[in-house]
Amino acid sequence: MARPQTPPLLSQIRVARSYSEQATALRALRDELVGHIQRKERWIQNGILEPLVEILQDDVRSPTRLIGKEPSQTGQPGFLSDHEMVRLLCLQLIASFAYGGAAFLAPIHAAGVVPAVMSVISPADNSRQVVLAALRALSNITASAELTPIGGGYTSRLSDALFSSGPVDALRTILFHGSLDSMVQEQKCLVAGLISRLCKSPRHQNALADAGILDSLATMLASFVVSRGEVVPGAELAGQTNGLARLRPAPAPPGADLALVLEALSTIVADSRFRSCYLLSSPAIMSVFPSVEFMPPATESRAAWNALEANGFGDLGTKNPGAIDYLLPAVPVPKLYSRGRNEYPPLGFSQSRDALAGSGRSSTFKFTGIDLGRLDVSSEEEDDDEPESPLIPWLIHLVRSTDGLERVMAAALLTSLFKSGFAVPEREQALAFLVIPLLCQLLKEHDKEVPASVQQAAFVEPDTATQWAIQERTLDVLARLVGDSEVLQQAAYDCGIIKMVAKLLKDSYEPHPVQSAPRPWSPEPEQTNDFEQGLATCRLGPPGQLPATAHKIRMRESALKLVTAMATLSKDYREALVEADIVPYIVESLSTFPGKPKSPKEQPASEKGRDGGDAGGASPYGPNLNAVIMAACHATRALARLPSIVRTTLQDHGIAMPINKLLRHPAAEVQIAASSAVINLLTNCSPMVEPLLDAGVVKTLCEHAHSLNPGLQLNALWALKHLVVNLDNNLRKQCLEELEPGWLVQLISDDASEDEAFRAQARPERRVTTTNPADEEDEDMENTENLYEDDSSQSWIWPAMSLIPPAAAAGSRRLQQVSLKLGLLREAELSPARKCRADTIAIQEQGLGFIRNLLMLPTPASQTDMVDYLFTELGQDRLFGILADKLKVRVVGAFGRRGRSAAGTARGGGGGGGGGNDTLVVYPQPRIVENLTYILVHMAAGVPRHRQLVVAQTELLRLLGGHFNSKDAGVRRALCQLFVNLSFLEGEADRGACSQRALELERLGFVAKLEGLERGDGDLDVRERAKAAVAQLKTPTV
Amino acid sequence: MSNWRAVVERAGGLDFDSASRDLAQLREALDRMNSLMSAATPSQQHGFEKRVAELKAPKKDVNALILDYLTMEGYPKAAAKFCKEANLQPQQPDPSIHSRQDIQQAIHSGNIETAISALNKLDPEILDTNPELHFSLLRLQLVELIRQCGSGDVTPALEFASKKLAPRAATNRDFLNDLEQTMSLVIFSHDSLRPELRALLSSDLRRTTASKVNEAVLLRQTQRREAAIRQLVRMRAWAETSARGKNKDLPESLQLGLNADSAEYGESSHEAMITT
Repeated sequence: MARPQTPPLLSQIRVARSYSEQATALRALRDELVGHIQRKERWIQNGILEPLVEILQDDVRSPTRLIGKEPSQTGQPGFLSDHEMVRLLCLQLIASFAYGGAAFLAPIHAAGVVPAVMSVISPADNSRQVVLAALRALSNITASAELTPIGGGYTSRLSDALFSSGPVDALRTILFHGSLDSMVQEQKCLVAGLISRLCKSPRHQNALADAGILDSLATMLASFVVSRGEVVPGAELAGQTNGLARLRPAPAPPGADLALVLEALSTIVADSRFRSCYLLSSPAIMSVFPSVEFMPPATESRAAWNALEANGFGDLGTKNPGAIDYLLPAVPVPKLYSRGRNEYPPLGFSQSRDALAGSGRSSTFKFTGIDLGRLDVSSEEEDDDEPESPLIPWLIHLVRSTDGLERVMAAALLTSLFKSGFAVPEREQALAFLVIPLLCQLLKEHDKEVPASVQQAAFVEPDTATQWAIQERTLDVLARLVGDSEVLQQAAYDCGIIKMVAKLLKDSYEPHPVQSAPRPWSPEPEQTNDFEQGLATCRLGPPGQLPATAHKIRMRESALKLVTAMATLSKDYREALVEADIVPYIVESLSTFPGKPKSPKEQPASEKGRDGGDAGGASPYGPNLNAVIMAACHATRALARLPSIVRTTLQDHGIAMPINKLLRHPAAEVQIAASSAVINLLTNCSPMVEPLLDAGVVKTLCEHAHSLNPGLQLNALWALKHLVVNLDNNLRKQCLEELEPGWLVQLISDDASEDEAFRAQARPERRVTTTNPADEEDEDMENTENLYEDDSSQSWIWPAMSLIPPAAAAGSRRLQQVSLKLGLLREAELSPARKCRADTIAIQEQGLGFIRNLLMLPTPASQTDMVDYLFTELGQDRLFGILADKLKVRVVGAFGRRGRSAAGTARGGGGGGGGGNDTLVVYPQPRIVENLTYILVHMAAGVPRHRQLVVAQTELLRLLGGHFNSKDAGVRRALCQLFVNLSFLEGEADRGACSQRALELERLGFVAKLEGLERGDGDLDVRERAKAAVAQLKTPTV
Repeated sequence: MSNWRAVVERAGGLDFDSASRDLAQLREALDRMNSLMSAATPSQQHGFEKRVAELKAPKKDVNALILDYLTMEGYPKAAAKFCKEANLQPQQPDPSIHSRQDIQQAIHSGNIETAISALNKLDPEILDTNPELHFSLLRLQLVELIRQCGSGDVTPALEFASKKLAPRAATNRDFLNDLEQTMSLVIFSHDSLRPELRALLSSDLRRTTASKVNEAVLLRQTQRREAAIRQLVRMRAWAETSARGKNKDLPESLQLGLNADSAEYGESSHEAMITT
């Protein structure tokens, strides 16, 4: 046996005859272990974990458990039976081992410590001390898991275990506990902390919302509102009418931590509209923040608003400031906002949608995390004009009146609510003036040198840890907040954020002196080969990172996110970022083991050096986690939206090759990010096209296009679409061949998949039925589907309803509305059919775009050649048939019993989902129509023969005619261009045919429609093109 | 502020009954502070003093401050008595103050092993997460061991040092220095030590270590390091220095009114600049 002789203490623990004997031994062990890392290691090797786990589990199973139950029932917090004492000591020992760092995680997991600990977190069966110790142990294990080197995966295992139904119930019980006892408060803090650290995936976030954890945290938040004395005046009265008054919580007890509650809430809500709405309509929040009219006792309180209004910077005309608004300074609002968004949707939306087109259109296409829900729900928005919850101005007030971590976390939650559209549009100005400067200030205040001793320490002091958390989170919040708002980016820019973020990014690449904590000296020679042998439960894993290194890497990731966010919209900020010299750092962040960031001059020499560095393992710059690499890809993509940056800086820094390499990264999420970056590197006239072609990018992208991961598919097709524009005919043909014409046809015609999605919803079966069983669809989607499956049989019930007195719930129209709205939002966000449809549409759009660009050629000869080639490859009639199909209004899903609100028809045809009860009407999406029309435009741009061919597609043209009144100006523009091309007169020889075409088009009624556009379209470009088309149709000229 | 500590520590810091006697003094002092300001005749009063006289600290707040001081500094019996007298809710449950008190007492009497064990019983995470604190406790234990050995056999001390302290010293420069310094106690005769070495053997080391431990425990339990009044005193000192620095109109000297000796101010204002 490899194990050294068993120490007497261990056998004493194992064979103790009574609990008190065991407790004595455990106590002795505790004194021996606490604070002694070497002894902890030795004890692990002695196999201490197994007996500890056995004690915890035996405890739960054994019939003597009833005895252990006593103290918690009699409620004597000071007293513990021997039995419970043993449990407590075990948990303390486990917590102490977990402090040893990442190396201890391997044995901890191998011994099954986590399930054993979770079996004792329920406050119903265990005394307070035991629950507290168990939570501490979990919290320590989590902290160590955060320091594991790449590929640990412990964090996700922990969250899967903790957010399953049993433990979640225990967590909720802890959070709802009304006791003021300091131990209970600490339990709550630990639970909130665990949620903030572990709840990262939408699956867990929804699970916590559904389990009522979101409600309990909301109640805690409301208790802070009460203790700060900031309940909206009149809430009492409003509460009596709707029965919510009873739900108003007591003031927050001492020991409760506002920052932790806010952090946990913002973690759960994240970027979801559903969960934002859930928080806002949580009974406790509604009871302290009802929407009531407020008249200030003194009229002069309104003076500031009146003054702004008088000068044209206010909007008192439309609504009165609420009570909480009087806690904030009045902020001037340009008239632009005051018109309200209802008059705005088409234009306002297309603008933000262009931003989205670049930044990822749904949660599948992770970029800045904007959710699809937001795009589509706009139609729902219009009909219920709900007042903004006072929680939003209160959070702004909180940002202003608190400091440090509380300020950051308040801003984080505020960001979630603002981004998911629950704030009135004028709030954007308030955020720009009142919140962004404070956040920038926080960054400046907390940007301090880290002393060398802290850099090497295995533990950091709470103060330092807080300071780091503030830095990291502030960057994150800023990145999310300014993401796609020009006003907020301007505000951040004015606060000098670009300089700041460049500095922070550079600081995060300060070489780190040591990689791991210095080993303590030992008086005996160390047995080095102990790591290799023995049972898994007795074997230590590799050491983790130092907290300081982990902090640097998180800073790197967050800084890159902020760079991305600042670069999404404006050319000026992109240039400013490049001038701040951040590109070398982005390039290094693209590799797992970065080297020293270099200026372009040093670049060529270092090319080989970096490859070596990649294999070399530890580097003084710390390993880049996948999250960092992805953030760097996104930053590249955002910067590359400015062609001049692609041509100069990015090219000089040789960014193409690292990105190309990442296209083959083992992790799918990194591949998606890399392919999104490559999209913008392959645009027209990019100098990187050549080298990337040489590196075989076509083959890689075509493979990705065939992938089953929708995100990867979309980005790959998108990149190919950009790429073909740069190629000559031969290469274009090769590219099409590589992509397989048959596959492409399948892709763009595959509307059946939508029907299938419906069926998938009815049957517990995978969405995509494919030949390839090992598909690499991302985890989230699959699980969301399962989760959805579970309760799709009965309709979803708002968990908070259980808190509300039934009489009130039945009587209050408001509560029923809320419940209904939540149900709809949940459906919109979680429905796999809806998500699948959105994915399909986005992918088809790129597929059509690819064909469109394939046909776009400068010279008529090659153009004609290409069109003919396409016809032979795809089949002429088949192609036209598919295109016509795309334009048809389809009715899908006889299975669509829940389909109505899920109909992804928000922007199509303006009709909304007006189908029958169990069918779904899908209107053609404008983006699809636009791309499709341009395919025809290009066909009609060549020889008269092709024009003739297009005119002959009567059915297709008739369907197109239906889109003359499309809301989307792009569609109308494309249509006019099509008729300009169709009516084009090639030469004298073509005159007869041309007038024939004109006649045909007139017969189909297009001339009248074009004249209509010429007269009355809102878009100048459309009018001009319509005019040209009409003129040509009437008198064809050469 | 040093006077404040002296008020309590004069009684040896551990004598609960005398602590409650001192408590009476404390309160008197606070009352005097109030009355001192209001007693001066209006004609000679400085504008600032007039404003001070107009402000009355509510008795409730003063009482809460005193209770806070007693609780945080670890005088459970005095705190309990005061609670009864002033009709207040105890700030911390009695056992928690008691165990802090026990740990303090163990350290003050040089019984470090008991102290470590008691500390682990109270909250094992304190030593696990604070290597500095653990090191200072172990070093104190080493000093005690050396003291026990006297001029006799030093083997126990050497063994303790090599097993418990030396491994840690390798990880941290400061630890190494401290250890080396402490080890020189083994070599030199205790009668003729250099002052910095002699300091190691004096009760100051116990006292500072004890207060470090107290602070660490408090930080874990209440998120605060020290009694609120210490902060108030520093804040007052800071306010005065910065006001004087900006040449605001102030009386020549502002006294706390704790006792006639006003020299205390110079030193605490220095401290104030460091801590804020």
